[in-house]
Amino acid sequence: MPATPRVCACGKKAADVKPNIFLPREAEIVRVEKTTELERVFTLRLADGGRMEFAPGQIVEAGLFGYGEIPLGLASSPTRKNTFDLVVRSVGRVSSALNRLEAGQSLQLRGPLGRGFPLEELRGHDLLVVAGGIGLCPTRSLIQYVLDRRQEFKRFTLFYGARDPKQQLFTSELADWRKSKDVEYHETVDKGAAGWTGNVGVITALFSKTRIDPGAKIVICGPPIMFKFVVRELDKLGVPHRNVYLDLERRMKCGVGKCGHCQINDKYVCVDGPVFALSEIEHLEEAL
Amino acid sequence: MHSHYIKEKDFKAFVAKLIAAKPVIGPTAKASRQQERFVFAQLSRPEDLRLDYDVTILPPKKEFFPPRQDLLSFDGGRAKPCLEPVEKVLFGVHFYDVKALDMTDALFQERNEDRNYLAHREAATIVISNVQKVSPRAFWASIGTEVKPRGHDAWLTKVAGGYVLETATTKGEALLGFGSFAAASESQIGEARRVNESAAGKCPKALRGTSASVAKKVRAAFGNEPLWTELAKDCFSCGSCNTVCPTCYCFDVQDWWNVDQKSGARTRYWDSCLTEDFAKLSLGAGAAENFREERAERFRHRFMRKAAYLNAKLGGPACVGCGRCSAACTADIADPTEVINKIPEAA
Repeated sequence: MPATPRVCACGKKAADVKPNIFLPREAEIVRVEKTTELERVFTLRLADGGRMEFAPGQIVEAGLFGYGEIPLGLASSPTRKNTFDLVVRSVGRVSSALNRLEAGQSLQLRGPLGRGFPLEELRGHDLLVVAGGIGLCPTRSLIQYVLDRRQEFKRFTLFYGARDPKQQLFTSELADWRKSKDVEYHETVDKGAAGWTGNVGVITALFSKTRIDPGAKIVICGPPIMFKFVVRELDKLGVPHRNVYLDLERRMKCGVGKCGHCQINDKYVCVDGPVFALSEIEHLEEAL
Repeated sequence: MHSHYIKEKDFKAFVAKLIAAKPVIGPTAKASRQQERFVFAQLSRPEDLRLDYDVTILPPKKEFFPPRQDLLSFDGGRAKPCLEPVEKVLFGVHFYDVKALDMTDALFQERNEDRNYLAHREAATIVISNVQKVSPRAFWASIGTEVKPRGHDAWLTKVAGGYVLETATTKGEALLGFGSFAAASESQIGEARRVNESAAGKCPKALRGTSASVAKKVRAAFGNEPLWTELAKDCFSCGSCNTVCPTCYCFDVQDWWNVDQKSGARTRYWDSCLTEDFAKLSLGAGAAENFREERAERFRHRFMRKAAYLNAKLGGPACVGCGRCSAACTADIADPTEVINKIPEAA
C-alpha cells in the first residue's frame, strides 16, 4: 500500500510546510575560555557535523532549554576552520546559565540571522573598525575576515576601547595585532591600572593617533553612547554617512522579525540589521 | 462566489449541525456580568451564539495566536514542535476583525513564515456577520476604509425573515451542506448590501483625514515631545491597549520546566510595547539600557505602529477602528480618534 502523504490540518502536505522557525539546532562546545570576570568565549561546532555558514556581523539566538535564548553576534570569521566562536557576558538568567557550561556539553542555537557587514562594499577600500567594550566580539568576525583575506582590502585600521585593562577581551589576539603589519591597531582604556603604559581616555581620542582617509569605509560597534561621539569625529574628517556602518544592539528576542522588542521606529534590528549604514538610519529618531 | 438564503426558523438547526460537526467559535455573552459583554468562545449550543453583539472583549486573533502558546517542547536536549492545528469555524466575526486578521496573516507570513500562527489560521473557516449593534467606542467607518476585508470564507447578513450567506471560498461553500439554504433572490442580495452599507453611519466616533494624511501628520509629529508627553501623562504603562488590540502581535518567549526539571516547553506570551521593560536590555554589572524609557516614547511608538509604520506593508493603517483599546484603557487616554484628531496637520 502506498504511504499516504502526511497532511497538516491546515490542508498542506507536510513536505510543503515550512519548518518551525523557533526550532534550534544543537552545537557542541569544543572549548571555553574565561576571558574576563564576566565573559566566556565559546568555541563551537554544529552537532550534526555540518558547517556553520554565515557572514561576518550576523547573529544567532543561543540558548538552553529551560532557560531561554539570547541574541549574540558571531565572534569569529567564517574563514576560520569548522568551528565558530560566541562570547557570552553573564548579565541575566540565560547568559549566566550558558556561562556555567563546559567543553563537551551542548547548547542550542538558531541562525545565522540578520544582515551582517556589507563585504562587497568594504572590499577594495581603506577600512577603519571602531570597537568599544564587548563590541569587539561581533566586529572580530570582520577583523579576522579582513586579516585572512588581507589583499582584498586596502589600509586596515582598528580602534579598540575597553573600560580598564582587565576588561580587555581576546588578549592574546590583541598582542598579535599590536605587532602585526596587516593592521594598524590603536587601543585605549577609560581607566588605567598598574602596569598599563598605553593610552588612557575615550575612544575618540584615538583619531588623533593616525590619519583616516575620508574615502575609507567605517565600521562601528560599541555601547549606545559611543556611536554619536565617533560619528562626530567622522563628520570632522568628512566621511560620507553612506560609508559608515553601525552594528547595533537591541533586545532581539525572537531573531526573526516578529516579537517586536528590537524595533527602531519601523525597523526590526534582528532582520533589517543588526548592521546598518548610517545614512539608512540617521533619519530614524530612535536609532542613535 | 454565490449568495444563499436561509430562513430564520432554519438557522438554529444550521448552527446546531455545524457545532456537532466541528468546533465552532462564536460571539457569546460572558456570564454573570451586570453590563452584558461578549467573548469569542467555543459554542456548545446554538442558543449561545449572539450575533447581536457589539464588540468582543478580546479579538478573534486569539484563536490563531493565543495569549499563551507553546512553540516547542523539550526533554533534556531534544525538542519537538508543538503544532497541532485543529480545523474549526470562526463564526460571526465582524468585518473589522477580519481586516485585522488579514493584517496579522501578512505580518506572520512576511520574511520568516511563522507556522505557529499560520497553520492554525489556514485550518480555520471564517464567517463574517454583519454588525447588528455598534459599540459605543467604534470608529471603523472612518479608518482605513480603502482596505477591504479579505481572507474570510463567507459573509452572513441578517435580513427580513432570515439570513443571506455570501460564500467567498470553497471552505465557505462547504458550510451550505449543514443547513437548508436556497439561492438568494436579487432583492435579498440587495437588502444584504443595504444592511451592511447602512451600518457605517452608526459609528459613534470618527477619525478625521485619509489614511495617507493621518500617516503623514502622525509621523511628522514624532519630534513634538510636549505633545506626546501631554497625551501620555496619565498612562499607567499597563499594556491594556495592546492586550485587546486585534492587530498587536508582539510577544515574549519564556521557557519553563516540568517538575522533573528535565522536560518542559518554550512558550510565547502576548507582550505589550507600552510596558516599561519592553525595549530594555541588561548590559551586565547592574547596568541596563532602555531604548524607550519614557512613557511618552512608548505611547508614541504604539501610535506610530498603528497609524504610520506598517502602512506600506498593509496597504493602510494597522488599526481597524474596533475601539477596544479606547474602552480597555485604565486612564481612558487611548481612544485613537481623540489622540490622532489632536495631532496637528503636517506642514
